[in-house]
Amino acid sequence: MNGHLELKNLRKVFRTDDTEVVAIDDISLDVAKGELVSLIGPSGCGKTTVLRMVAGLQEPTSGKIVLQGREVQGPGSDRGMVFQEFALFPWRSVRRNVEFGLEIAGVPKEERRKKVERYLDVVGLERFADARIHELSGGMKQRVGIARAMVNNPDVLLMDEPFGALDAQTRNIMQGELLKILAKTSKTILFVTHSVDEALYLSDRIIMLSKRPGRIKTIIEVPWPRPRDRAAPEFAALRKQILSELEKENVMDD
Amino acid sequence: MARTSEYGGSAWRYDKDNKYHRYGRTVLITIASLLTFLLAWWVLSIIAAIPYFPTPERAWSAFQLLMERGDLATGLTMWQNVEASLYRFGGGFIIAFAVAVPLGLALGYSGLVEEFAKPMIEVLRPIAPIAWAPLFVLAMGTSLGPMMVVFIGVFFPLLTNTIFGVKKIDSHLVDAAKTLGANEYQIFYKVMLPCTAPYIMNGIRVGLGIGWMCIVAAEMIAPFGGGIGYFINNQAQIGNWPNVFVGLGIVSVLGIMTTGLADYVHRIISRRMGIE
Repeated sequence: MNGHLELKNLRKVFRTDDTEVVAIDDISLDVAKGELVSLIGPSGCGKTTVLRMVAGLQEPTSGKIVLQGREVQGPGSDRGMVFQEFALFPWRSVRRNVEFGLEIAGVPKEERRKKVERYLDVVGLERFADARIHELSGGMKQRVGIARAMVNNPDVLLMDEPFGALDAQTRNIMQGELLKILAKTSKTILFVTHSVDEALYLSDRIIMLSKRPGRIKTIIEVPWPRPRDRAAPEFAALRKQILSELEKENVMDD
Repeated sequence: MARTSEYGGSAWRYDKDNKYHRYGRTVLITIASLLTFLLAWWVLSIIAAIPYFPTPERAWSAFQLLMERGDLATGLTMWQNVEASLYRFGGGFIIAFAVAVPLGLALGYSGLVEEFAKPMIEVLRPIAPIAWAPLFVLAMGTSLGPMMVVFIGVFFPLLTNTIFGVKKIDSHLVDAAKTLGANEYQIFYKVMLPCTAPYIMNGIRVGLGIGWMCIVAAEMIAPFGGGIGYFINNQAQIGNWPNVFVGLGIVSVLGIMTTGLADYVHRIISRRMGIE
C-alpha cells in the first residue's frame, strides 16, 4: 500500500427538483505520503467538491475515499482543512483558535499549551498568541488557519484555495512560508487552487480537471526540486503550456 | 494636557481627534439638551397653568415628600413600589429568556421545527402584550399577571433575534469545527452558541425596552399590589398630579438604566465577536 490517500472512482451528482448535475465523475487518484498534489481546472469543475468529500463535509454519490487503508466516513481530525475564507473563530484569541482541535480531543491543558506554542512558532506567530482575530492581516489569519489545521497532526492537510483571498504579494510570501513549514513537518497535502503559477511553484504533481462534469484531464509531474525559480525559462514554458490547455477547456464548452 | 488651554484663557479649539474633547462635547450637549427640556417643561407648565401639568419645582418637591413619607394612599414607600415593579419585570424577563433562547436555537437549527412552530407564533405575535393584561391579572393575580405580560413583551423580540442569529452562523465555521473533530454537541456549544450570542444580546436589548413598557402598563390594570404603574394610576385617580409626574420620572430613569446596561453588555459581546 504505497498510496497514503486514495480516491477511487469518485462521482458526485447534485440533484435539484428536475435536474441532475454531475459535478465530479470518475476521479481516481493516489496521493503518496508526503506528496503535495494540486487540483486545478476551470471554475465550476468541482475541485473544491473533491476536497470537501475528502474532508467528509460532503458525501460522494459513488466511489470511495481511503486514507491509510481505512475508508473515510464523515469528517474527522485525521484530515485537517484550511479554508479560503480562513474560517477562524472571531471570539477566540489566536492561541485559542489553534487550540480548538486539541480541546475537542480532550488533550490536557499543559500539553495543549506546549503544542500550540510549537505550531505558532512553525507559522511565525509566536508573538501574536494573545491577539484577537480581527486585529490580524489576511496573511496572518491564514497562518492561524494553517497552525489550527496542523496542531492535530492530521495525516493529510486539505487546502481549499488557502491564499485565494490574499493580495498578490502576501500570496507569494505565504507560498514560500508553506514550503518552509513543509520542510519542517513533511505533510501530505491536497491543494486546490485556480492559480497555475501557485500550483507549479508548490506541487509535486498537478491534476488538471475538465469542465463540468469534472474528470481528470491531465496529470502533470513537476520535476524540479524546491524552492523553485518562477523566472526560470522551463518554469515559464510549463506554465504557458498548462494555461493554454486550461484555456482550451474553457473555450470548448462555451 | 490638551485641556490646560481651556484654563489658560487663550483661544480654545475643539479637537475631534482628542478623546477627552469628544467626551466633553458629548457631556455638554447632553446637559444642554436636558436643560432645554426642563426649560420647555417649566415654560409650558406656567403658560398652561392647569393642575394636570405641574411645574418642575412642584414635581420635585412632591418627589422629596414621597421619598420622605412614602405613598400615603397605599402606605407603601416609593422603594417598595420600585421593588414591586422590578421584581415583576425581572421575573417576566427571566422566564422569557429561559423559554425564548432554547426555542429560538431549536427553531433556527431545524427546518421542520420552525415550519411547525411558525404558524402558532405568527398567530400570537400580532397581539399587543398589554392586551393580555386583563386576562393574566385576573387569572394569575397581581404579581404573576403583570409578570406574564412582560414575558410576552420580551419573548417575541428575543425569539426572532435568536432564530436570526442561528441562521446567520457562518457555515465555514461549522465546517472548520467538523474537520477539527467536533461532534454535534461540541459544535452547538463551542460554535453555534458563541456565534449567536450577539444576536441574543440584541434581542435582550430590544426586549428589555418593550418589557419595561409592558410592566408599567400592566400594573395599571392590576387593582392592587403596588408597583410604579399602579402608583401612577392610583395617584391620577385621586388627582395628585405632581405625584403622577414623579411616577413618570421614575419610570423614565429606571428604563434608561435597564436599557443602558443592556447596551453596555451588547457592546462588550459584539466587540469580543469582532463585529462591532
